[in-house]
Formats: sequence, C-alpha cells, structure tokens
Amino acid sequence: MEANGLIAIGAAIAIGMAALGGTLAQGKAASAALEGIARNPEAQGKIFTPMLLGMALIESLVILGFVIAFMIQGQF
Amino acid sequence: MKYLVLLSLLLASTSALASGGFTWLGGLSHSLHIPEHVVTFILSSVIFLIGGVIFRLKTKNVDESLVPDSGISFRNLVEVVGDGIYGLAKNTMGEKAARTYYPLLIFYFSFIFLNNIIGLVPGFMPPTENFNTGLALGIFIFIYYNWQGIKVQGVWGHIKHFMGPMIYMAPLIFVLEIISHAMRPLTLGLRIRGNMLGDHTVLAIFSDLVPYIVPIPFYVLGMFVCFMQAFVFTLLTMIYISMSVETHDHEEHAH
Repeated sequence: MEANGLIAIGAAIAIGMAALGGTLAQGKAASAALEGIARNPEAQGKIFTPMLLGMALIESLVILGFVIAFMIQGQF
Repeated sequence: MKYLVLLSLLLASTSALASGGFTWLGGLSHSLHIPEHVVTFILSSVIFLIGGVIFRLKTKNVDESLVPDSGISFRNLVEVVGDGIYGLAKNTMGEKAARTYYPLLIFYFSFIFLNNIIGLVPGFMPPTENFNTGLALGIFIFIYYNWQGIKVQGVWGHIKHFMGPMIYMAPLIFVLEIISHAMRPLTLGLRIRGNMLGDHTVLAIFSDLVPYIVPIPFYVLGMFVCFMQAFVFTLLTMIYISMSVETHDHEEHAH
C-alpha cells in the first residue's frame, strides 16, 4: 500500500523534473530564435530549421523521462 | 457541408468510443490474431497506395500535368506537400543529395503523417502510438544511412567519419559516436511514440470529461502535433543522411 504511493510519487517526480528541464531549455532555444528573427526577419527560414532540430533533440530526453515514468508506473 | 455534418457526428460519438474502449478495427485484429496497430498500419498503407494511384492517374498525361488545377484539389495538396519537403531537403542537404534522397523523405513524411492523423479519427488507434512501429521506422533509417555512407565514402571513409578530426582523440570520440549513433533509432522511435501517446491520451481524457465542443481545441493541437512529429522525423532523417554522406571537399559551397 505504502510502496504503491511511493511508486506513484517516483513516477510523477521523474516526468515532472524531465519536463521542467526540457521546457527551460526549449524556452531558451525559442527565445533566442525569436530574438534572431526579430532582429532579422529575412533569416526566418534559416533559423527555423536548426531551432526545430535543437528542440527535437532536447525533447528526446524529456521523452526518455516520460518512458521511465511509464515504466515506474508499470511496477504497480 | 456534408463532410462537416459527418465530422461533427463523429466528434460527438468520440466520448462513447473513448470510454468504452471501442475501436473499429478491434474486432478484426481479435479475429485475425494480429495486434491492432498492425491492422491500422495495413489500413493506412492501403489508403496511401490508393492515394498514390489516384495522383498518378491524374498526372499521367504530360500536357495536363503541366497546368495546375484551380482551387483546392487532391493533386494540389499533394504538390504543396511535395514542394515543401523538397525545399526543406534542398536547404538542409544541398541540391544533389536532395534529388537523390527525395523519394525516401517524401515517403517518410507523408506516411508518418497519415499514420499519425488516423489516430484523430474517433475509434482508430494511431499505429505510431506503439513503440514497435516507431522503432521499425527508426531502424530502417539507421540501416539506410549507414549503407549510403558506406556506398558514397567507402567502408574506411565511413568508419573514419566516426573518429573525429584529430587522430589522438579518436578512441574517445569513436566510443561516443557509436553510442550516439546507436541511440538514434531508439530516440526516433521513442519521440514519435511518446508524442503520439501523450497527444492521444490528452484527447481521450478531455473528450471523456466533456463530450461536446471542449475537445475541439485539442483536435487542433493534435493535428499540429501530428504534423510536427512527421516533420521532425523527416528533418532528422535528412540530417542523419546528409551527415553520413557528406564529403569533405568544400568546393560545392559556393555561396
């Protein structure tokens, strides 16, 4: 009974912290890209693709965290 | 208008479908003893083939195919998608590589997009929600870009590509590169799986809470996620291929 509660807390912490780190990093990437676009609107097409790429790579770690959370939840 | 009515009928029945766990292909998968995502995958392959044949028949005549249709037609949609992916490939990989690898890229984009978007139809599970589908697509990319790297640069050239610029750093970089390359199919599969699962779960929960009107923004979000995941998958495929086939002569970059 108590162990189940701890497992749930563990899963929540796993995905929560992964999401926290990922969103901080993605926010930084997006703000830098937006700043670049605001300074030079013509460079939008060139900035957009690397930004997406960076975001995808950041996000992959968040998704690994999500999978870990899912695996922990499966321990019930 | 007719489609709109049909669509709203389908949307209204979402909650019943979601809470009851009913899916259109569930019975078929049960009687055929194959997993449901495989059945849905086969269905989307059939849709994809039919679409391809229709498009081919429409552009069979060369004189007619030069003149674009007016308004929004199936052919125009296909051409918009194709042109967009080609432009992206040209920017990322260069013109020559874009021409070589275009068939693979456009297939991956449109097929993954179709597989994602089929999950938004109530009563269908997206095949990409299952990790096996994503992993299969990712492993194919992994094999393909390694094969292309060996084909273009030779076996030794491809291995040298793992070693970094400096020879005394090679043992360290080699290990790191091997790990990061081995992670690529995994992360490709996990990314698409995690995003589609999360998106589908959000949609199911909200249409379970309030069956009408409220899920509509989440459908829009779902369409965006479907597009974005197909796009990101294609973009990463382009990057991986172009990284493994790039030759180190810099004469081509004359801009």
